Amino acid sequence: MSLFLASVGFGLITSAVLAIASVGFTLQFAVTDVLNLAFAAVMTAGAFVAYWVNQAGVSVWIGLAAAMAACSVLSVLLNLAVYAPFQRRGSSPITLVIVSLGMALIIEFGIQAVVGGVNVSYSMGQGRTFRAGGLVLTTVQIVIIAISVAVMAAVHVLLRYSRLGKAMRATAANRTLARNCGIRASRVITISWAITGGLCGLAGAVFAIDIGSFGPTSDDLFLILILAAVFLGGPGDAYGAMIGALVIGLGTEVSAAYIQPDYKYVIAFVALLAMLALRPTGLLGARARG
Amino acid sequence: MFYLITLLVYGAVDVIACLGLSQQFGVAGVTNFGFIIFQAAGAYVAASLALPSDTSNGGYQIYIGGLHLPFPMPLIGAALAGALLALPFTFLVGRRLRGDFAAIGLLVTAVLLNLLVTDYRPLFNGDAGVAQVPGPLQSGIFILSSTTYRWVFVAAVIVLAAGVYMFLRRITESPYGRTLRAMRDNDKVADSLGKNLVSLRTGVLVLGGAIAGLSGGVLVSFISVWSPAAWSYAETIVLFAAVIIGGAGNHRGAMLGAILVPVGFEEVTRLITNSNPSLPPNLLPSLQWVAIGLLIVLFLWFRPQGVLPERKRLIAVPAPAAEQAGEPPAGPAASGHDGQGLLTRGEVARAREGASGAAGGDDILQAVGLSRDFGGVQAVSDVTFTVRRATLTGLIGPNGAGKSTLLALLAGTDRPSAGTILYNGQDITALPAFRRARMGLVRTFQLASEFKRLTVMENLLSAAPGNRGDSFRGAVAGRRYWRGDEAAAIARATDILRRFGLDKLANDYAGDLSGGQRRLVEIMRALMAEPDVLLLDEPMAGVHPELARRIGDTLVGLCREGLTILMVEHELAIMDEFCDPVIVMAEGSLLAEGTMAQLRERTEVVEAYLVG
Amino acid sequence: MFESAGSAASAAGNEGHKTSRYGRLFRACSMAVAIALAAALAACSSSSSSSSSSSSSSSVASGSTLTVADVAPFSGVDAALGPTYLVSCDGAVQAINNAGGVLGHKLACTSADTRGDPADAVPAVGSLIANTKGLALVIGCTSDEAAAVVPVLNANKTVMFCMTGQSEFDNVKYNYFYRLVPPDLAESYAMVVIAQQLGYKRIALAFGNDIGSQTFVQPAITSIQKAGLTLVANETLDLHATTFRTEAQKIVSAHPDAIMTEALGSADPTLFAEIKQLNGGKVIPIIGTSAAISPAFYQASASAISAAAFSANFHADNLVTATSGPAYNAFSQALLAVKGKVNGAQTGNFTTYFTAPGAVHLYDGINLAALAMVAANSTDTSKWKPWIATIGNGVPGAVTVSSFAQGVAELKAGKQIRYVGPGGPTSFDAYHDSPGIFQIDTYSPTGAVQVTGNITAAQLRAVSG
Repeated sequence: MSLFLASVGFGLITSAVLAIASVGFTLQFAVTDVLNLAFAAVMTAGAFVAYWVNQAGVSVWIGLAAAMAACSVLSVLLNLAVYAPFQRRGSSPITLVIVSLGMALIIEFGIQAVVGGVNVSYSMGQGRTFRAGGLVLTTVQIVIIAISVAVMAAVHVLLRYSRLGKAMRATAANRTLARNCGIRASRVITISWAITGGLCGLAGAVFAIDIGSFGPTSDDLFLILILAAVFLGGPGDAYGAMIGALVIGLGTEVSAAYIQPDYKYVIAFVALLAMLALRPTGLLGARARG
Repeated sequence: MFYLITLLVYGAVDVIACLGLSQQFGVAGVTNFGFIIFQAAGAYVAASLALPSDTSNGGYQIYIGGLHLPFPMPLIGAALAGALLALPFTFLVGRRLRGDFAAIGLLVTAVLLNLLVTDYRPLFNGDAGVAQVPGPLQSGIFILSSTTYRWVFVAAVIVLAAGVYMFLRRITESPYGRTLRAMRDNDKVADSLGKNLVSLRTGVLVLGGAIAGLSGGVLVSFISVWSPAAWSYAETIVLFAAVIIGGAGNHRGAMLGAILVPVGFEEVTRLITNSNPSLPPNLLPSLQWVAIGLLIVLFLWFRPQGVLPERKRLIAVPAPAAEQAGEPPAGPAASGHDGQGLLTRGEVARAREGASGAAGGDDILQAVGLSRDFGGVQAVSDVTFTVRRATLTGLIGPNGAGKSTLLALLAGTDRPSAGTILYNGQDITALPAFRRARMGLVRTFQLASEFKRLTVMENLLSAAPGNRGDSFRGAVAGRRYWRGDEAAAIARATDILRRFGLDKLANDYAGDLSGGQRRLVEIMRALMAEPDVLLLDEPMAGVHPELARRIGDTLVGLCREGLTILMVEHELAIMDEFCDPVIVMAEGSLLAEGTMAQLRERTEVVEAYLVG
Repeated sequence: MFESAGSAASAAGNEGHKTSRYGRLFRACSMAVAIALAAALAACSSSSSSSSSSSSSSSVASGSTLTVADVAPFSGVDAALGPTYLVSCDGAVQAINNAGGVLGHKLACTSADTRGDPADAVPAVGSLIANTKGLALVIGCTSDEAAAVVPVLNANKTVMFCMTGQSEFDNVKYNYFYRLVPPDLAESYAMVVIAQQLGYKRIALAFGNDIGSQTFVQPAITSIQKAGLTLVANETLDLHATTFRTEAQKIVSAHPDAIMTEALGSADPTLFAEIKQLNGGKVIPIIGTSAAISPAFYQASASAISAAAFSANFHADNLVTATSGPAYNAFSQALLAVKGKVNGAQTGNFTTYFTAPGAVHLYDGINLAALAMVAANSTDTSKWKPWIATIGNGVPGAVTVSSFAQGVAELKAGKQIRYVGPGGPTSFDAYHDSPGIFQIDTYSPTGAVQVTGNITAAQLRAVSG
């Protein structure tokens, strides 16, 4: 029982990191209709920006902010310079996915060319360990979960109550119609990429904090987890992504408690494939394209 | 010398693999991000069939099989494995899933299978993989064979690659290949013209899988080792880069890409590393991936057609037939009074008529209580009407009235939320679009939906039903098998082109035509499908009024020949002149029905137009 | 009535007459056959010139350079290995050149990146053989690629000193294959002996799912049983995963006395950190394989759970290597001379490369080969290869030498020699495997490797499965 609870606790941490990343990814898809497979590579960039800031003697929590800023800029550039031109030309979604794969290669291996194949860690303490009825969490982990919850709340407020959020939802639903209603679609899109880029950088840095030792290729498998969470909840739906992240995070860690742990990601993969086969619109499904 | 042999074998294997990928991606538009797993399946099965049982092989490897079968069984097994592995993935390429989602699914499957094989050691010895795989007709591994044997192997692999090329050429240059390309260009339209997308895509996955498996079988017999590290999902990206750069849709381009990217690029990198040992060792492999990413993006932007673009298929347009209506080469006689015989009743149409007879009597198409709502918005609301045989019925209404949606429901490209559709008395509500098309219920689309990368003639030919070459078996049987049907179709298409005055443009890409001309292509193509009922969605939009009039005349003539037409149009003048009866829709419901003169009297109709 | 349309480029699409269709088919067929024939002709012409011997087995031109190639992963998961071996290569080669080279030839090192996978390793080795003049020796060949490249190198009659502990090389005959490191089996037994000596009774296993790690698990399980210890947990780690908390929790809940592990890359350091955190801040004692004695591993682990905690709780089996004496001095001098000049090998303290896996053994291998050439007075592989075992195992009356320079001097004086380098005395069996004797290593808080004990052959036998 206590193993179960402990793994639930670990699952919460994984879910927390995954949620930040998945919400960013799914909003990018919602607003631009692009499955940005370069997302994990941009996360890696964020992790390294935070690392370099940290190496310069600054606290890694400040490094988080630097990561967010850097990835925000990088994401906006990615859209403006690469995705948007292809879309203006009328490229098919599959072309854009291939382009995003190409960009993922460029960014991730560009980083590897610079830093080499080493694995690095942030200089930071882990804080005290708290135990509560089977859950075992350190201060840092609790902070990560708190950050994630705060981000989810902020996204909720943004989407539901702010003008920008409403504009985003309108643009996501029907870009032409949104434009006809006076929404400056291109500006909304750019701001959306800036925000989701910030989420991406935050996710990257928090991910690196969580795993401790990371390198340029650590994020590869994480992209699959993001895809699993996003498709589980329904691509384009931020709340779906949150739920998907919770399910995938808990599912992988709890399953590791009961089966051979090297199979733990199999759960995530199978879930993703099952969703694609049975219900491509996801659990909260709204975007019924076909 | 061994290095040269390695290059030749790898080159041939990559050529085979890229050809398979090109057939899937370039010809049929199926993006298979999991392509490498089919090669891996072929390699593992070939290894498993060629190796002796694991207990007798030193005992340090565990794997299933170990049947110690002689050549060519392992290679055949490899191709079969690749083909069979494709079958479970039909769910991913079904009609309902958009292309990029399906591609992601295949990518994830590649990662998943790699993980499973690595972790579950009894299958194929886990991460260490299988080793000591004997070469064909040998008891030992390839590298231990004689020089003569090695060169014979190389020659055989090159011949195999050539054979794959010629086989795929035969498939692609047939009517079946044309159908695949049409599906690639616009799958929704292909569906509405009677093409079974699921079956076509499955076929392409299976064929590509078999070819990939074949390449894996050859590769493993050469390297004598196969492990999960050799088939990470990144390998698929390299193959995609090769096909994109070489030229998707052109098999020679795929071969060129195979030689340029996996072979040329890799070896150049190795050469640079070998001659510059002072470089940081990790730098070049990283830069290599950056370069591949750059090449993919740059080529897709600047030259998406690749180095060797897809060739235009030119089809000879036959000279005008003799003055009298007669002697078309191998087809039925014209039936029209004015000798035009546009709606040459082919065997297909006659068979349809014979079978269903006039079961519905005069009422060929009926909608009963048809509704469609999109999450709260009622696009079509409880619509009931009947279309009588051989009439040119008009469907008008203000913007947003639901006309196009109604047409989509009738044609099958959309599913109704409620209601039934009867065709010749038969309930077809549950039938998908392609089945309705084969029954004679054909639609056109509002937005331009020609097959852009097919010529005008090919556009028309793609719709011709009953062509023997329009199946995989027919394609394999070769040109001689389907030549007759093709000639008949070309003759029909030429007649239609002449009638609409576009015969000079027969060999132009449909995507290069003006808006009005493309509209005509759409109508002509629909006619080629030998429809009994034609659903036209704003066929005159963007067409010169003169030409519009001529089209209207032609349509009326077709109705006289027995065709039933339901036409959505905005131009009320056209409705006036050609259509009887006319149906009015507004805000999703049927408002009125009658001749234009009658409708003009009805106040609610006038109001709907002013307000809506 | 159907004319053939237009250009040659459209030859494919149209209805042609029978002759042109067959013509096309004929052209395609003949092209394929022509290529195949050309290949076969090339074969005939080349086979006559290289039928029985290949480039490396014939003598090289006098005064030319002899090349030693480091065939190992320089990228991918095991990217640390290639550069590590290169340090030994550069060091050994530079010492040999300073002592006058081999029969007037200078030596040089080169590398071939196998990327850690067999499908890439084969062309890498092919390219190496084709493009390297005077390839005399290969070092490296790890478990990642050995099964694929050893047959190739063997067929090319190139002597190789390999690092793979895979069991197939225990008794499959490859004449040009030499191994100075123990099979993985033996290392598992050594780890169990360590546990015995340190008084650990409850053992947990945490090995990665890659080739190199999985071969330890089964022998370890049998051996633990034989030694009368208790196996309390066996977790296989997916090396691509980034957290192992649940695995760590399972291990901690089983209350082991020690954890046996090999999970390279970032997996082990992450696991250690998580175990420490879940165990209330206490590190559970760790027993690693010889692969853990590497600068990269130390750095990553120390930064994960602190240098003090790691060094106080870590032991690994390693082959007995000298840490003092003439052989060691020669070795350390040789490597120090190339400090800072080896690409990619710049992790932390350079002296940690002295104790990295394979460091001394590959250095010894190069020296053995060089001395064999001098003793045979030939660079023809078929002539000097037999001398490797002779100089390695020694003959009665042989003088023990501990460096290349010393060996050359004794040979000139007409003596028989036995080379005993920092890796200790070799004893090649019929399969050219020289398993060596084990010692127990640990780290000081600054990352220097220290020897804390020995394992005798008898102790190993007692726990062998």
